[in-house]
Amino acid sequence: MTRCLDEGKLQSYFDGELPIEMMESVTSHLASCVTCAAAARELEEESAFVMSALATEFEASVPTERLRERINEAVLGDRLAIAPSTQKTSGLAGFFSGLLNFGTQRTLGYASLAVVLAFAAIVGVVKMRTTTAPAQVDKTTAQAGNKQQPESNAVAQTSPDRASDEIPELKLPVRETPKGFVPVRYNKPAPMSTSPKPAQVKLIPGERSYLQAIARLDSTIKSNKKSMRPALQVEFERNLQVVDRAIAATRSAAKSNPNDPDAADFMFAAYQSKVDLLNTIADARVGGGRGH
Amino acid sequence: MSAEVADTERAGSKLRKKWFAVWAVIGLLVSLAGSTAAHENSNPESGEKPGEKIDRTMTVDPAAIVTLCVASGTLKVRGWEKDEIHVRSLDAAQIEFKRIDKTKDPAKPAMRVDVMVLDRSAARNPRLDCQALASVEMDVPAGATVQVQTRDGDITIVGVAGAYAGSQNGDIMIERATKLVEAGSVGGSIYLKDSTGRVSLSSAGGVVEVMNVRPSDDEDTFEVGTVSGDIQLSRVSNPKVTAKTVNGTVTMTGPLAKAGYYSFTNMAGDVVLGMPHDASFRLIAKVSEKHDIVSDFALKYLSEPPTPPPAKPRTPAPGTGPVVAPIKVEKPVSVTQHVLRRVNAICGTGDATISIASFGGTVRLKKI
Repeated sequence: MTRCLDEGKLQSYFDGELPIEMMESVTSHLASCVTCAAAARELEEESAFVMSALATEFEASVPTERLRERINEAVLGDRLAIAPSTQKTSGLAGFFSGLLNFGTQRTLGYASLAVVLAFAAIVGVVKMRTTTAPAQVDKTTAQAGNKQQPESNAVAQTSPDRASDEIPELKLPVRETPKGFVPVRYNKPAPMSTSPKPAQVKLIPGERSYLQAIARLDSTIKSNKKSMRPALQVEFERNLQVVDRAIAATRSAAKSNPNDPDAADFMFAAYQSKVDLLNTIADARVGGGRGH
Repeated sequence: MSAEVADTERAGSKLRKKWFAVWAVIGLLVSLAGSTAAHENSNPESGEKPGEKIDRTMTVDPAAIVTLCVASGTLKVRGWEKDEIHVRSLDAAQIEFKRIDKTKDPAKPAMRVDVMVLDRSAARNPRLDCQALASVEMDVPAGATVQVQTRDGDITIVGVAGAYAGSQNGDIMIERATKLVEAGSVGGSIYLKDSTGRVSLSSAGGVVEVMNVRPSDDEDTFEVGTVSGDIQLSRVSNPKVTAKTVNGTVTMTGPLAKAGYYSFTNMAGDVVLGMPHDASFRLIAKVSEKHDIVSDFALKYLSEPPTPPPAKPRTPAPGTGPVVAPIKVEKPVSVTQHVLRRVNAICGTGDATISIASFGGTVRLKKI
């Protein structure tokens, strides 16, 4: 993997959503690509910042997708419960046939009832058009279900949150953007205790300090406004590739042999070579003076 | 009558010739005066004419520390017997000595001196230190330490006590340094020979070649490192030698110091050691499973390298390459699968210690 990682892939990496092969590949790339390592670190810090800033909100009983699913399930359960009851009532065919076997008075009564129902339906449709929030649609549906089958308490048992006064909480809380905050996509805060924690970057012990040193040196080199002379740039890039290849190879060996200190030593030697190279380049760019 | 006319014509012709000569002389004088004025304008401060060698001399302490720094140009430094600095350049507009000792006693010779080389742009702005585009030659006392730096040019230092040299892309050649050498280059090569003392050399992409170096005292270490350049050491007798490269070949030839410690680390290249047939050393090597240790010397293994996995049994190919000495297994070690393997062996009485860590190269021990 030579191209830099995009933000989406990095985020998936931190969220543990990548397949294992891809995780290995990204880890290896991060170990050898200063730019991506810096971006990953920045992303990690921002995610941590967001998570800490919103921790109280996450811990509060904010209605979530899961709650919404539960409500939908409950509503679906109501509908399913309606079907057998309907079948049950269809068993009373004699009663209905008796009802349907109406005379003139009954006809007038049913006609007036139909007019009232039609008027109520028109009013209801107009009101529904004015309300567009899905949560309210759910509420309407749920209430309708309750009206149809008030004796069905399955929803109430499975979801105490379903009480009508809690439904409006389905509106997601409005979060004020902190000053200097860079918007970051974060996946499913998952306040539920059963949710898996986001995967952490598994660095080999001792590796982090090298990565930090490399990132610092890299930023020092980039912060110098003077453009690097082409000859130096070419030499730098060429040798950087050599070192990065060595880091990738030794890191892979160290990871596949976690109990072999020699493998880790090789990896650290490769890292040190990169630190030395970056130091040399930083000196060459920042320096130019007499050094005393 | 005709004779008078002829005399008159002859006199007129002479007069015209005189006028012509006078105007010619005046014209010549005016043109010369104009050219001189133009030249002075082009170099008003230095008083040096372009193309003229600038030459400066200063008396200094025999063990003075002298720095010389330019942006581009070849720098040559030579140690001599006089207690003077002598600097000369054909390209510079100005050369100055800046004495930077803490105690600036005029009665004593300077101990620390910055040689300020200014070209025409720098002459207008003296703060542009180390920005001159000029080649410079300098003589310093043989006991002096020089610190020399250029961006693009080559550096040559001969016959000084201490040499610090840095170049981004130029080569660095140092000879007959007596106390210490530190040299670094990004893209250039480094050559060191016939020197004594502590040595530290580094080049990212260039080759490092060292010949005939020895310590001036027991503490003098020898360190060399590259990223992609090869390292060639010949007759280096410092008690502690360290050579590191990422992707280069390390070659060392010559006798080993009696109780010397030699450390070679590389990631992708070979390590080739050429030693006398009676060399006595202990070998501690960490090498890749995929690469071999090929030895002309009879090695006695102190411990068996880790057992390779059963699926990939490794057997040395008989009859190919140098003869590998029979291995005497004294203490078998059972280790789980490894990408790397360790070798701990001894040759002779094991006077010197050779530590080799080669991640992806072959180790060759040759008799010379």
